[in-house]
Amino acid sequence: MSYQEKKTVVTMITGALLLAAYCIYAFGQVQAGLAAADNLTFWAGTILVFIGISIVVNIIIQIVFHILMAVSYGIKQRKETGDCDEASLNRHFRTETTEDEMDKMISLKSSRVAFVCAGIGFGVGLAMILFGAAAATLINAVYIGFSLGAIAEGIAQLRFYRKGV
Amino acid sequence: MTKKNAASTTYTGEKLEISNNIRTLRFFANEMTQQQLAEKAGASRQTIIAVEAGKYSPSLELAFKIADAFGVPITDVFEYRRADEPVEQVEQEK
Repeated sequence: MSYQEKKTVVTMITGALLLAAYCIYAFGQVQAGLAAADNLTFWAGTILVFIGISIVVNIIIQIVFHILMAVSYGIKQRKETGDCDEASLNRHFRTETTEDEMDKMISLKSSRVAFVCAGIGFGVGLAMILFGAAAATLINAVYIGFSLGAIAEGIAQLRFYRKGV
Repeated sequence: MTKKNAASTTYTGEKLEISNNIRTLRFFANEMTQQQLAEKAGASRQTIIAVEAGKYSPSLELAFKIADAFGVPITDVFEYRRADEPVEQVEQEK
C-alpha cells in the first residue's frame, strides 16, 4: 500500500470515528433529556464544536501518522541494510509524499463523490422537513451528509489508486 | 512480441489505446527501478507504477519527462492505436 493510500485510509477512519463520536454525544444528550431535539442552538453549537474538534484531531492524527511512517521506514531500512541515515529518510519521504498530477486528478474526481453525498444529505434533509420532521433534522442531515461524503471520497480515492484513473 | 500495458482513452469520439514500453526501457537502462524513474521524472512512485501498468495516461509534460529520463524520443516510450485496430496493422504502418 502506497503512502497516499495509507493516508486516505487514516483520514477515512478518523472521519468515521469523529462521526460516530458526534452521533453518540449529540443523540445521547437528546435521549438523556439534557437537550431538546428541536433546540437549534444546541445542534448548531454541537456541530460547530465538532467541526473544530475534527480539524484539531485530523492535524494530530496526520502528525502521528507521519512519525509512525518515519519510524517504520527506519526499522525496515535497518533490517534490510543495517543502517538508516537522515539523507535516505528524507529522500524516501520526498519521493513518497510528492503530490503529482495523478494525485491531483484523483483528488478532483473523488471530491465530486463527496459533493454528491453532501448534496444527497441536503436533499434528504429537505425532504424530511417536507414530511413534517423537525428543523434540526436538516442540520443533522447536512452534517452527516458531509461526513459520509468525506468517507465516500476516501473510498473513491482508494478505488482510483487501485483501478486507475 | 512483448505484451504492453495499455490505457484506454477517448479522443474526438474515437476510442484510443495508449500503450507504453516503460518496463522494457527500464530493463535496458540497467534495470532502473520505478523509484529512480520517479525521481528523474519528478513524479511519485505510485504514478510511475500506474503509468507502467496502463492504469493512468500521463500528461504530455510527464510523458516528455519520462522519455527524457530514458534519453529517448516520446514515441519510443508511448504508442497509441485505435481500440478496434489490430496490433499487427500498427506495427506494419511503422
